Amino acid sequence: MSLLEVSDLTVSFGRRRRVAVDHASFSLEAGQRLGIIGESGSGKTVTALSVMGLLPETAQVAGSVRLAGRELVGLPESQHARLRGDLVSMVFQEPMTALDPTMQVGRQVAEVLRLHAPERSGRARQHVLEMLGRVGLTDAERVADSFPHQLSGGQRQRCLLAMALINSPDLVICDEPTTALDVTVQARVLALLDEVLSAEGAACLFISHDLAVVSQVCSDVLVMLDGDIVEAGPVAKLFTAPEHPYTRGLVATARIDQVRPGERLPTVEDFYPRAEAR
Amino acid sequence: MSAPTLPPDAAASTPLYRVRGLTRTFGRAGRVKALDGVDLDVSAGQRLGIVGESGSGKSTLIRLMAALDRPTTGSISFEGQEITRLPEPRLGFLRASVQLVFQDPRSSLDPRMTVGSIVTEPLRSRHLRGALGPVQAGVRLREVLDAVDLPPDAAGRYPHEFSGGQRQRIAIARALAPGPRVLIADEPVSALDVSVRAQVLNLLAGLVAANDLTLIFVSHDLAVVRHLCDTVVVLRAGRIDEQGPAEQVFGEPRSEYTRALVSAIPRIRV
Ligand SMILES: Nc1ncnc2c1ncn2[C@@H]1O[C@H](COP(=O)(O)OP(=O)(O)OP(=O)(O)O)[C@@H](O)[C@H]1O
Ligand SMILES: Nc1ncnc2c1ncn2[C@@H]1O[C@H](COP(=O)(O)OP(=O)(O)OP(=O)(O)O)[C@@H](O)[C@H]1O
Ligand SMILES: [Mg+2]
Ligand SMILES: [Mg+2]
Repeated sequence: MSLLEVSDLTVSFGRRRRVAVDHASFSLEAGQRLGIIGESGSGKTVTALSVMGLLPETAQVAGSVRLAGRELVGLPESQHARLRGDLVSMVFQEPMTALDPTMQVGRQVAEVLRLHAPERSGRARQHVLEMLGRVGLTDAERVADSFPHQLSGGQRQRCLLAMALINSPDLVICDEPTTALDVTVQARVLALLDEVLSAEGAACLFISHDLAVVSQVCSDVLVMLDGDIVEAGPVAKLFTAPEHPYTRGLVATARIDQVRPGERLPTVEDFYPRAEAR
Repeated sequence: MSAPTLPPDAAASTPLYRVRGLTRTFGRAGRVKALDGVDLDVSAGQRLGIVGESGSGKSTLIRLMAALDRPTTGSISFEGQEITRLPEPRLGFLRASVQLVFQDPRSSLDPRMTVGSIVTEPLRSRHLRGALGPVQAGVRLREVLDAVDLPPDAAGRYPHEFSGGQRQRIAIARALAPGPRVLIADEPVSALDVSVRAQVLNLLAGLVAANDLTLIFVSHDLAVVRHLCDTVVVLRAGRIDEQGPAEQVFGEPRSEYTRALVSAIPRIRV
């Protein structure tokens, strides 16, 4: 049995049932790291939110999402809430909206610990500072006592990462986790993620538009386009011999280092023209 | 215009921006030194990249240069005029010349306004009118939408109806509307997926060249900076660690820290 089995997942929104994810199927083994790439609006975040049970009320979900054998589609919120942070956690794409602006971030991280690991919450502050240090925040004390608006973009993102990792879940979903980070911190955070995932044997669903980062973190990758999975396979194959023209375009645009400074960059449209530019 | 009248040759040698001893601290007793004694010149037409790790002070620096914040100490002059102590009503000349594009197109566009009113908003600003003269807002709107490759009917729609890449183009159109001479962009492509990142970068490069813009470009993506900028400043803990021509800083970095930055550029690994 796979840790996560998604079959025929279809998610649509609103009365007009605009389809965001269209019959998507994939699976993830314990400890496996799967990347999801694809353009903005292709359904990556909606797929992740389906696993987290965090889609808004206006979403209609069909198909099946099984995590450690349990069906999540249709699971009552009270039960889903218990799985979050325990079995599965997520680093959200927009750190500012994922953090409570009225609460010091250290307390927010401690809150996760208290809810899911009450036995460790006695020494919560110490755990929190340790975790903040592990995600590369050198002045953990100051960061813990800050409100979100007092932190830089990258500092906020690392607080979210600390929150997601502090309870050692089986599956960590990362939605653009290093977008706000500079390269050195990114390298440090990815190394940390790698270390924690390996140490805990945790699996990872890793959403990123940075193909280079995906190639470093993941063994396998899915390509999404308009809610469809158009190509899937091992990283090495997909990035060296992509089959779908859209994937070929994505790989070409990611190679900025191969274009002379100032020259026009290749775009996906050069490889995969769309009826309507998005 | 309130710009000082200088003989042409002197104007050419005076930097557009002159930043001296710029320091900005936050918190009780100035515990956090976000910027610590930064000296920087930016000349007209320069394409300056600002790089450095998270928390190094990049956003703080450009917020000060755009007069969205005030320094603790130090000075910034724009076209020879000190801006750090000017009250808002007297910053019109700066507001007319300098426009910003932020990282997150989701949160920087007001969801309740149509794209048309978002883009023309800078034209309605009280401070700008004096400096700009009367503007044909409708004409200008069509011009800038066209410049960023958005259809004219985009004007009547709302931001949520657009993808991330399109929203960033809306933000760029708004920045271009008042005809600025300086474009400051804080991580403008970081939130975009690769498929639109190349489009937006090609667009920016084209606009900068076509309008002789001075570009100040903050990014943690060194590959992007190398592609777009001619000079680079590396910030570290609020100080300038290294600066110079992009080719030199990336090709033969002098400081240990810059070397680490350059070697940390992620590359596709298969
Ligand atoms: N709450 C919602 N209501 C209506 N439509 C939504 C909602 N959330 C997402 N969508 C739509 O579903 C589609 C997929 O969105 P999703 O957020 O999954 O994209 P994504 O691949 O994560 O893109 P990005 O790279 O920009 O984050 C989009 O067309 C989006 O507009
Ligand atoms: N309003 C504020 N109150 C307190 N501290 C602040 C405030 N704004 C910024 N800081 C601190 O100043 C330092 C520099 O922040 P800044 O936002 O300039 O960093 P940055 O280089 O833009 O980082 P990033 O790449 O993560 O966006 C950080 O340590 C940050 O926590
Ligand atoms: Mg998303
Ligand atoms: Mg910043």
